[in-house]
Amino acid sequence: MSDEFVQVLDWIAMLCLLAGALLTLVAGIGLIRFPDLLSRMHTAAKPQVLGLLLVLVGLGIRLIPAETNVFNIGTLVLVGLFQVVTIPVAGHIAARVGYRSGRIRHDLLVKDALAERLAEKERTQEAERAE
Amino acid sequence: MTDPTSPKRLGALGLRRRLGKVQIPVALGMTVVWMLLFDGFQLRPESLGLLLLGFLVSVAIMVVFPLPPIKPGFRLWPFQAVRMLVYIALKMFVASFQVTAQVIRPGTVRSSVIAVKLRTGSDLMLVSTAIVTSVIPGSVIVEVGQTERELFVHVLGADDDEGVRAAERDVLNLEERIVRALGTRADIAELEEALVSGGERV
Repeated sequence: MSDEFVQVLDWIAMLCLLAGALLTLVAGIGLIRFPDLLSRMHTAAKPQVLGLLLVLVGLGIRLIPAETNVFNIGTLVLVGLFQVVTIPVAGHIAARVGYRSGRIRHDLLVKDALAERLAEKERTQEAERAE
Repeated sequence: MTDPTSPKRLGALGLRRRLGKVQIPVALGMTVVWMLLFDGFQLRPESLGLLLLGFLVSVAIMVVFPLPPIKPGFRLWPFQAVRMLVYIALKMFVASFQVTAQVIRPGTVRSSVIAVKLRTGSDLMLVSTAIVTSVIPGSVIVEVGQTERELFVHVLGADDDEGVRAAERDVLNLEERIVRALGTRADIAELEEALVSGGERV
């Protein structure tokens, strides 16, 4: 590979790493700024996914010229894949538990379809019990 | 019929039954992960050995910890899969900027929990849609109604009817992309039927 090409790759890698770091910073700020559990969940899980992917891409580009034995692009692909697949699970569990145990602020919700649905279910159950 | 079988015979039978439960596609998937872990895709003399070993380990894992089969299954449509990946990547970029803007803009952010009724009944499609919806910034799955095929999504910043409708459309579009990329023929038929009949309703 020519020197210029390596330099261009370096710049792209640097931009990716910086953008990823910035997104993670935004996630941190959002975590402090947002008022309730559900909106915090967004920042905890989200900009981070893209941020992490960008950091991984940056690392991958850096790895092309300098091959190491410890880890390789395959490892990075695996890290990205399993992050993307597992983050929603953790997020969903936290959101669900938070919702069901009443730890959310309803005044911040404009429309709440789940509350309507749960109330409806309760009504039908009560009706069945009354019969 | 009820002749006493020796314990040894029973063991062999059990092993046979468990070997029958091994799902080849899943084993192949695990082998790919194995190869990625050990840098098996770089052509080296030991690559073939790695491949074989990986497959054997996958089969061994599935014999020791048998899992129920992925029932409806899926089917990869390569062209549509690329389209889906591009769509998801684009959405992630755009949504990341939206969330960043919401984080930086002063004032409280109000949101909504919306119910989205999916059009395909397959569990796998439901799970895929839920995962991708969660990965895209600005929406978190709060609850899944599996029997009603409904997703309850918390959408950040959807504070009026327009925002709610847009978010609903987004989830449905996502479902369409995913089903077209990974669904079986039956799933796609179901989706298309719903598209035709629901076209006037929405």
